[in-house]
Amino acid sequence: MKLLLVEDQEELASSIRNYFSKEGDVCEVADSFAKATEKLYAFSYDVLLLDLMLPDGDGLSLLRVIKENWTDMGVVIISAKNALNDKLKGLELGADDYLPKPFHLAELNARANAVYRRRKQDGKRTLSFNEIELNLDNHEVMVNDKSIELTRKEYELLHYFVVNQNRLLTKQAIAEHLWGDYMDTMDSFDFVYQHIKNLRKKIMEAGGKDYLKTVYGAGYKMKDE
Amino acid sequence: MNLIARITILFVFVSLVVFLIGGVISFNVMMREVNFEQRRFLIERLDGLEKRLERRPVKDTASWTKLKIIRMPELMEDRTSFSDTVVMHNQLDRLEPHLRLDAVRTVDGVSYQISLYDIIIEPDDIRDGLVESLVTMYLILLGAVLIIGFMASYFILRPFNVTLDIIKNFSLTGSNQQVVFQKSNVIEFNRLNHFLEEMTNKVRSDYQSLKEFSENASHELQTPLAIVQSKLEVLMDGENLTEEQLEQISFVQSAIKRLSNLSNALALLTKIENREFENVSEVDLSGLLSKMLEEFKELIELKSIERDESITETAKIQADQVLIELMLTNLINNAIRHNWEGGKIKVDLNGSELTISNTGQELTIPGDQLFERFKKSNQSSHSMGLGLAIVKKICDYYDYEIGYEYKDDFHTIHIRF
Repeated sequence: MKLLLVEDQEELASSIRNYFSKEGDVCEVADSFAKATEKLYAFSYDVLLLDLMLPDGDGLSLLRVIKENWTDMGVVIISAKNALNDKLKGLELGADDYLPKPFHLAELNARANAVYRRRKQDGKRTLSFNEIELNLDNHEVMVNDKSIELTRKEYELLHYFVVNQNRLLTKQAIAEHLWGDYMDTMDSFDFVYQHIKNLRKKIMEAGGKDYLKTVYGAGYKMKDE
Repeated sequence: MNLIARITILFVFVSLVVFLIGGVISFNVMMREVNFEQRRFLIERLDGLEKRLERRPVKDTASWTKLKIIRMPELMEDRTSFSDTVVMHNQLDRLEPHLRLDAVRTVDGVSYQISLYDIIIEPDDIRDGLVESLVTMYLILLGAVLIIGFMASYFILRPFNVTLDIIKNFSLTGSNQQVVFQKSNVIEFNRLNHFLEEMTNKVRSDYQSLKEFSENASHELQTPLAIVQSKLEVLMDGENLTEEQLEQISFVQSAIKRLSNLSNALALLTKIENREFENVSEVDLSGLLSKMLEEFKELIELKSIERDESITETAKIQADQVLIELMLTNLINNAIRHNWEGGKIKVDLNGSELTISNTGQELTIPGDQLFERFKKSNQSSHSMGLGLAIVKKICDYYDYEIGYEYKDDFHTIHIRF
């Protein structure tokens, strides 16, 4: 996946770039709209991560220009504005997703991936981790080519882990991913634990290995040792 | 009561007083003139009598109607004096006040005492005439005042009323175009309009900058939070952190989340206060509530909460969908968050009344403070204490009635749309 990050906050941009680079993705950074268009004309990208507040222009009008010229590129807006009308306007203008700051890098990665895969036309749209395979179209999960039955939340959880494999996912990031802002109590962490327990059980019952590791004090990590 | 009516009533009252005083003064002036004329008339008759006495002296006493002459035995000094007397009026057949002249005159060396009395116009005739004419004038004046009042409010005060209408429809969030007032040929109205024009523009620009400030403050806060958040994640991804260190970072992360939510909630409250939600449409309250409860189903089940709902299908209201969604979200979230593990939630939507009850710890603050900002029963809890403040603000915005009560172990919030 090749990404262009348009973000004028240098510190945030470097964190995001490093995160994606570790995944094996290419992430380039432009700190202004002018630089972004320069890069867009020179190279092609799969997904654009766009901050709406740039020093040289209003993000929404930039978005309009981008959607006119690069129609097949996915756009995820990352904005400090959690304003509902900005979100609606952004999506109306053709953005694929809207993620308010501050966000978990894992969440950004999951959203960018979803946009990327949704736009990819060729071939089967699947995600896999060793013997586990997720079909992104019908949300079917196969373990060793055997279909397993997951609830919607369990599927979302597994998808989140596979996209962010080998990464530490905090309980908070998982809770926010599953329930959004509704869930900001400490209770949610128990719910996360229950879901992970169930998911682990279902995968192992189908003959899969236990890849969901508990990182004590922080959260969970999906990895193959 | 409008301005013209007030002025008219005041004018009518004042003119009544003026007419009363004026009537008394007119009566007195007229009486004075009449008196003066009467005296002159009596003096003239006295002169006539003197001339008559010169020609035909009276021997002893002579008396005619309204006249009496007495011949005095000795010589007396001349004198003249007027007095009031009451005499039976021969035509009206009643006692009437008359003016009386008593004089002593010496004619050809003989002194006579002469008494004369007469009346030209009776005082009650004057009074009656005055009252009649004043009442007629007063009625004409009343009619004129009413007509002038009507014309004034419809013609002269028209620009003023137009200005009032413009102000009434003035909205801070309205269109960005300037408020334009009509030109009038009344100096005062033009001054008022000029002042209002300046004021509305000032208010709009102040409001705009305040709005920008509170929104920007919220955004500016989110950006550094995003940086901290991302750096913490990078830090956590490192290999050699101890469990305790990871735990500390988790706490920082959850504090960042709370700070971000807090800032968003405050920005939202400001937006509601600033009436920025004007996208009114018909909201299917029943459908929306069912949808919301479905979204929260998992959370309710995870906490083993028993749900009991009765929703009539027909509840529809005119409002901004976003605000109503927010309100329902906060109410349901509140009922789940402050519930016991294995507690109960009752949701009842009946026509235009919504009742949400939940079990949970009894409040430590008075119930009427529940809707205030940052008031929470459990100060150490992770909730911000803004959820119900937002609900209250939305209810105020649409004039919905909201109330809280604690009865039979149930916290109940009811809203009448």
